[in-house]
Amino acid sequence: MAGLPWKKTKEKIIEELLLANYNQYFRLACSYVHNDDDAADIVQNGAYKAIKNSGTLKEEAYAATWLYRIMLNEIFSFLKQRKTESIDFIPEEPKTEDTYEDVDLKRALEELPEEERLIVELKYFEDMKLEEIAAVMDLNVNTIKSRLYRSIRKLKLRLEEDWQYS
Amino acid sequence: MSSREERWKEMKQEYQSHSMSERQVEEMKKRMEQAKRENRKERKQHTGRKAAAAAAAAAVIISVLPNTSANVAYAMSRVPILSKWVEVVTFRDYKYEDDRNTADINVPELVPQISTEKGTDTADENAESVDTQTKENIQKSAEEINAEIQAITDRLIQEFEENLKNQEGYQSMQVSSEVIAATEKYFTLKLICYQAAGSGAEWDYFYTIDLATGERLNLADLFTDGSDYVTAISDNIKEQMKEQMAADENKIYWLDSDMPEWDFKEITDETGFYLNEKGEVVISFNEGDVAPMYMGCVEFTIPNEALADIRK
Repeated sequence: MAGLPWKKTKEKIIEELLLANYNQYFRLACSYVHNDDDAADIVQNGAYKAIKNSGTLKEEAYAATWLYRIMLNEIFSFLKQRKTESIDFIPEEPKTEDTYEDVDLKRALEELPEEERLIVELKYFEDMKLEEIAAVMDLNVNTIKSRLYRSIRKLKLRLEEDWQYS
Repeated sequence: MSSREERWKEMKQEYQSHSMSERQVEEMKKRMEQAKRENRKERKQHTGRKAAAAAAAAAVIISVLPNTSANVAYAMSRVPILSKWVEVVTFRDYKYEDDRNTADINVPELVPQISTEKGTDTADENAESVDTQTKENIQKSAEEINAEIQAITDRLIQEFEENLKNQEGYQSMQVSSEVIAATEKYFTLKLICYQAAGSGAEWDYFYTIDLATGERLNLADLFTDGSDYVTAISDNIKEQMKEQMAADENKIYWLDSDMPEWDFKEITDETGFYLNEKGEVVISFNEGDVAPMYMGCVEFTIPNEALADIRK
C-alpha cells in the first residue's frame, strides 16, 4: 500500500494541547473575570477558535504560546464586552477561609496591578519560564523580570530568586 | 519556612486545584468537535469546486503515435522520453511573502511537441486521418487542460489576494506539480495544492492521459462496460483500511466509526487516481476525506488480481 507518511497536523497538535492544558487557561481566565462560569465560557470559545484557526499557526514549536494568546484575547474581549454591558456588575469574591495573618498575603496578591499579578501567577503557580511568560504577554523578558522583582518585594516574600540570575 | 512562605505554598495549591467541572469540559470538547466538523466541511467544499472545474473540460494531452512500425517499436520498447511528445513547463510562478502571508504557486503548462512531418503513405488513409485528427486533438487538449489548471490556480491566487486584506490572519499557499508514474501507456500529471487559511489542508488533482488514444483517462475507461468497478475498488480499499488499522493502532480510517455518516462508503467519479508503473490502479484521497486530517493524503494501490475480471 503506497500510503503517504502521516504527520500530526496543526489541528491535532492544538487539540492535544487543549485537552492537556485546559485548566491552565481556565485559571488564567478566572484570575481576570473572577467567575467560574464566565471563565469556562471563555475557555470553550477559545478552544473553538483555536481549532478553527489551527491552520494559521505558523510554527508548531510555538503552539503552546499561540494557544495562550488566543485565550488571552478571549479574556480581553470578554472584559471589554462586560464593561459596556453592565455598570452594576460586581465580580464574585473568591471564597476563602482566611486567618488574620493570611488575609494580608492573599489580599496583597489580589491588589497587585493585574499585569503584575498575572506574571506572579504564571511564574509561581503555573511554573512557567520567564521566556514563555514574555512570549505569552508579548513583552520583553527584562520587563517581565523587573515587574516580577517588584511584585515579590511588594508581597514581602522571600522566595528563591533564581530567576534573577537566569 | 516562615508562615508567610507556608501560606504562599497553600495559595499555590489552592490555585492549582481550581479546575473546570466535568460538564464544562464536555462542553469545551463539543465546541472543539464542532470546529473540526466545520473545517472538514470547508475542505469538502474545496473538493466540490474542483469537481465543477474538472467537469468543464475533458482535459487531454496527446502524444502522436508515429505511423511507421519502426517508430511504434521505439515507443513501445523504451520508457518514453515524454518530452518527445509533451513537455511540462512553468507557465507562471506566483510568489509572495510578508510577515503573515506566503505563497509559492507554480503553475505547470503542457506543451505538445508535434512533429511537422506529414503522413508518408498517402494510400494509408486511416493513418493520415488519424494523424491530422490527432494533431488537432493535441492542440485542443493541451489548451483545455492548461485552461483547467489555470482556472484552479487563478482561483487560489484570487483567494490568497483577498485574504491579504485581513490584518490579523495568517495564510500560506503552495502549488506544485509532478509527473508521476510515466509509462509507455500512460502519462499522469499531479497538481499538489496546500492551503492554510483557517484550517490547513492538502489536496491533489490528477490528470492522466492514455498515450494510445491520446485521450484523458477516466477510471471507467479501464473497465468493461457495465462492470461494477466502483464496488470492486471500494471493497478492496475497505479491506486494506481494516488491515492497516489492525496492524497499527496509530492509523485511523473512517470505517465502522462512531460517526457512520463520515464512514467511507465508496469512491466517486471525482476520486483522484492514477496508474503506477505496474499498471495498477492507485486511488488517492485528500486530507480528511476518508481519515482524520493527521493521516494526510492517503493512497491505496489496488492489486491487479482484485480487478482482473473487469479490466479491459
